[in-house]
Amino acid sequence: MPIKRLFVANRGEIAVRIIRTAKALGIETVLGVSAADRGSLGAEMASRTVVLGPAPSAKSYLDVNLIVHAAKATGCDALHPGYGFLSEKPILSKMCADEGIIFVGPRPETIESLGDKLGGRAMARAANVQTVPGTDHIATLEDAKQAARQLGYPVVMKASAGGGGRGMFKAEDDSALDASFERASREALAAFGDSRLYMERFVTRARHVEVQILGDGEGKIIHFGERDCTVQRRYQKLIEEAPATAVPEATRRRLHDAAVRLTSHARYRNAGTVEFLYDVDRDDFYFIEVNSRIQVEHPVSEETTGEDLIAWQLRVAAGEGLHLEQEQIKITGHAIEIRVNAEDPSNDYAPSPGRITEWTPPTGVGIRLDTHARAGYLVPPFYDSMIGKLIVRGADRAEALERMQAAIAAFRLVGPKTTLPLSAFVVAHPDFRDNRITTRWLEDLGPFNAAGKV
Amino acid sequence: MKGKTEDIATLVELFRSSGWDEMHVEIDGVQMFLSTDPNARLGDGSMPRTAAETRAAPIAAAPAAAMATLAVAPAAPAAVDVPAHWIAVSAPNLGTFYRAPKPGVPPFVEVGMRVEAATDVCLLEVMKLFTTVKAGQGGTVRRVCVNDADMVEHGQTLFYIDPS
Repeated sequence: MPIKRLFVANRGEIAVRIIRTAKALGIETVLGVSAADRGSLGAEMASRTVVLGPAPSAKSYLDVNLIVHAAKATGCDALHPGYGFLSEKPILSKMCADEGIIFVGPRPETIESLGDKLGGRAMARAANVQTVPGTDHIATLEDAKQAARQLGYPVVMKASAGGGGRGMFKAEDDSALDASFERASREALAAFGDSRLYMERFVTRARHVEVQILGDGEGKIIHFGERDCTVQRRYQKLIEEAPATAVPEATRRRLHDAAVRLTSHARYRNAGTVEFLYDVDRDDFYFIEVNSRIQVEHPVSEETTGEDLIAWQLRVAAGEGLHLEQEQIKITGHAIEIRVNAEDPSNDYAPSPGRITEWTPPTGVGIRLDTHARAGYLVPPFYDSMIGKLIVRGADRAEALERMQAAIAAFRLVGPKTTLPLSAFVVAHPDFRDNRITTRWLEDLGPFNAAGKV
Repeated sequence: MKGKTEDIATLVELFRSSGWDEMHVEIDGVQMFLSTDPNARLGDGSMPRTAAETRAAPIAAAPAAAMATLAVAPAAPAAVDVPAHWIAVSAPNLGTFYRAPKPGVPPFVEVGMRVEAATDVCLLEVMKLFTTVKAGQGGTVRRVCVNDADMVEHGQTLFYIDPS
């Protein structure tokens, strides 16, 4: 059943991104916005825009009843959830199914089983994909200490229902567990409504590597290569690239196989990302989780494969099947993405909402900008601080790095403070250029100031 | 000018979701004082505006902004032909508008009817969940702006009430 009218249940750059591809495929779009976003770029581009509720997300983008009601009332036959907000809530996928609306994403039960990190680990074990040595639920501090002694310090505690670093902490010894266990439990409960924690061995030199996949829901999986997202701060990605040239090619092939095996076992439908921790010292990798949605960093895979992943999402959702073979996916060149966040990296990344008074993004060969921002745009204080993603492509990593440096230098943005100076610093840094960073690299450098690191 | 209206709307929303008691902002010679206490006044007496008065600003501005940017805006009534003292009752969220408590019974209100602030004026349905909307203002119903069973958006004007 071809999709005629698509409800876009998101905002910001990803709403713009989805609408652009839908238009190209001849699909009408309805964008559901909050009152704060009624004048947004996405609202102008969509065939129709409806105002769901007031600015706070809880009364607009996070209200599943409002979203599904709006999709029905505007005659949409499909719904794209984007990322964040309700994208990985099984209830949205389920309510769409109940109302006869195509959900552009996995089945509710897939989201449910993979959304819980322990569920994901169980799925990985069943598919013979290795996970970081770790535990099941840990209920008490005493159990945590005993488990840590068995696994060997350092260890990391994580929220079972979690994501985004909340409820997560690292412990070097018993006293660190004493100090943080109860707080992490409460944090998990507050953030996810579920206080359960589990423990894993901590990999000292780790890189974050992930594989983009697409599934037909019947077990056929095609992968689009891997991405390296090692530049992070507090488990939030800042820079992503493809391919992951820091990982030997043979290991990358094993990564792809593992990702395909796991998601094929899950009979995964639509686009997803299988995240791995790469252990630099052992040249080995461990499964972390599956993100059952399109991801922020999907453009670097698009740039290196030449495929439009949103278009593939819509085709698979429409039931056209997955008319693509693995041999057709050719990975060429190198792509890097930086996230432009309205945050002040010199002031502990404090959010910096406000009006953009000057906006002249870079242009040129190999440059792509995914954004909803423009001159005069007011970055609202209610949502995620990301205002765009600058993506560059080159014949190899060295060329991509040069282009990124030039692109950042040419980016004129006046108004809110942004992470652009931080990205410029990282891209110019010898550790990043030589590809020898780890996931803790940025934090280990200490606070950032505009002149460099202190 | 449009920018300023958006700024004010954003500040009001920020204040609403903040849990703060009072907020006083001064930008480029424009002062704004928000308070949860309807009797509160700005300290120096130069801004005798109550929270309720200030709140009217973004709501009044909303339909105009929607018309400007929506390709297929719903029938948002043009505010131009409405006397300045009429007060709009607007939808708190998107939903399906029903004028009567159930099919086959008379509507909650008709044009010309007197209402109190607490009078129910319509139902909004979201996925089979019905909530009542109150007049929020005593006066006479002057206009019903939406057809029964139409979808309405957040901020869309449902009725006009003449408080005089």
